[in-house]
Amino acid sequence: VLLTIEPDGPVPIYQQIRDRIVEAIAGGGQPAGSGLPSTRQLAVDLGVNFHTVNKSYDILRQEGLLRISRKSGAVVQRDAGSGPPNPDWVPDWTGRLRTLLAEAAVQGMPAADIVRHCQAAMAGFAFPGEGPS
Amino acid sequence: MSAGSLAGILSVIVVGALCCVSPAMNRPTVQFGVRVPAGRTSAPVIGRQRRAYYARTAAIGVCCAVAALLLRGHGSWWLARIILLAEMAADLACFLIARKNIRDVKNGERWFAGLRQAVVTDTSWRADPPRFPVRWLIPAIAVLVATIVIGVLRYPHLPARLAVGPVGGPVGGTPGGAGRWVPKSVVTAFAVVAGQLYVTVLCTGMMILVYRSRPDLAVADSDAPGTSVSRYRRFLAALAKAMLSLVALVNLSLLLTALRKWQVYQLPGSGSALPLLPYAVGLIVLAVVALRAGQGGYRLRGTGPSQAAGAHGPGQAARTDRDDDRFWKAGLIYVNRDDPALVVGARFGVGWTLNLANPVAWLIVAGTTAVPAGLAVIAATAGM
Repeated sequence: VLLTIEPDGPVPIYQQIRDRIVEAIAGGGQPAGSGLPSTRQLAVDLGVNFHTVNKSYDILRQEGLLRISRKSGAVVQRDAGSGPPNPDWVPDWTGRLRTLLAEAAVQGMPAADIVRHCQAAMAGFAFPGEGPS
Repeated sequence: MSAGSLAGILSVIVVGALCCVSPAMNRPTVQFGVRVPAGRTSAPVIGRQRRAYYARTAAIGVCCAVAALLLRGHGSWWLARIILLAEMAADLACFLIARKNIRDVKNGERWFAGLRQAVVTDTSWRADPPRFPVRWLIPAIAVLVATIVIGVLRYPHLPARLAVGPVGGPVGGTPGGAGRWVPKSVVTAFAVVAGQLYVTVLCTGMMILVYRSRPDLAVADSDAPGTSVSRYRRFLAALAKAMLSLVALVNLSLLLTALRKWQVYQLPGSGSALPLLPYAVGLIVLAVVALRAGQGGYRLRGTGPSQAAGAHGPGQAARTDRDDDRFWKAGLIYVNRDDPALVVGARFGVGWTLNLANPVAWLIVAGTTAVPAGLAVIAATAGM
C-alpha cells in the first residue's frame, strides 16, 4: 500500500500517518492480520522522527485497529469484516462526521453534492462480501 | 607507455565521460541537485543549463585527456592524478553553476507556490523485503581465496626481496615509476590480500545497508500501488549485481598484480597494464547498468499491478515531490537531522549517499578511512 504524507502541510504528521493507515485498512490493502512496518522502519521510509510514527501507532492501538507486540511487530487488528463497531465508538464518530458535513454545508455545497461525495469516497472501501474496488 | 601512466590517462577519460553524462541519469524532477515540480521539468532554464553543462564538461574532458596524453612522458606517475583532480574540480564547478542558475529561476518564479508537497512510501517494501544477492558474492570470495592459496604456495619460493608499486604500475624500479624493492615478509607479500578483503567487505557492507534502507521512490512516479517500488526493486537488484561483479573484477585485478609480484608471470611494456583490464571492464558494466536504469530505476518500465485509479484516491489534488533542497548541501551532501535514515538515494547520478546528520554515518566515514590508513602504517613499518 502506498502511504503518502505531506510533511510541510497544516495537518500534524502523526495525524496524517494515522489517517493514511485507516484509509489503507478501509481500502482493503491492509486487511486484518496483515503486518505494517515497524515504527523505526516507517520513520526511515517516510523520513520523519521515530517518535512521530510511535504516536500514530499508539493512537491506532487505542482505537483497536492495531496490535503491537515485540514478537510480531505491528499487525492490523480489525477491518470492515471483523464485525460491528463498539457501541461507545459510534456517537464519537457521528460527532466528527457532523462537523465535517457542516464544513461542506457552510461552504455552500448542495445536499445532493455532499451525498455524492460521500458515496464516491465509500466506493474505494472494501466492505465484507465485496472485493476491494 | 607504462601501465601507471596508462591507468592515469584512462582515469582522466573515464571520470570526464561519467561526469559529462551524469545529468542524463537523473530523474526529470531533480536537476543538478535542485528539486523541480513535475509541471516544470521542461522549463527553458533547465534545457539551457543542461546543454551548457554538457558542452563545458565535454570541453574539460577533452582538454584534460589531451593534457594527460601530451604530458605522459614528463614528470612522475602523479602528474595524471593532478590532472584528474583538476578535472573533477572543474566539473564540480560546472555542476554548481548549473545548480545556481536553475535554483535562481526556481526561487524567482516560486515554482513550488501552491503545490502540495508530499513524500511517499510503500508498505510492501518492509512486508516483503528484497533479498541481498548473496550468490553474486561467490566470485569475489573465490578470487580472494585463490589469491591466499596461491600466495601460501608461492611464498617459500619467493626471493629475499620483492618488487612493489602502484596497482598496475611499473615493477622493479623502472625509471619514472614508483616501483622499488622491499625485503620479503608476510606483510609485503600479502598486502594485496588486505586490499581485496577491504574492497569486498566495504562494498558488501554498503550494499547490505542499502538493502535495509528506504526505497528511493518519487511521488511523481507513484502512479499506482506497487509500480514504483517494483521498479526500485529491479533497479536495486541490477545495481547490486553489477557492484558485486565489480568487486570480483577488482579482486581479480589485485590477484593479477599479486601474481606478477610473486613472479608467476612477467609482461613487458603495455602488457604490464593487464591487471587493469578486469577493473576497467567492471567499471564499464556498472556505468552501463546505471545509465540504463536511471536514478532510482526511473527509466525501467513498471511491472506492478496496473490500476487505472491514481494513487491519491478520487477527488484529491495531485501532489508533487517535497522541495527538499535545504537538506542537500551544495546539491550533493545530505544533512537532515529530522530524518532517521542512514542511507538515502544519491542526488546527482545513480547510487546512494549517507545522511551526515546521523552519527553512524560519521562512524562509517571514519572506519572506511581508518582502515586504509592503518594498512598504510602497517605497510610503512614493513618497509613498503
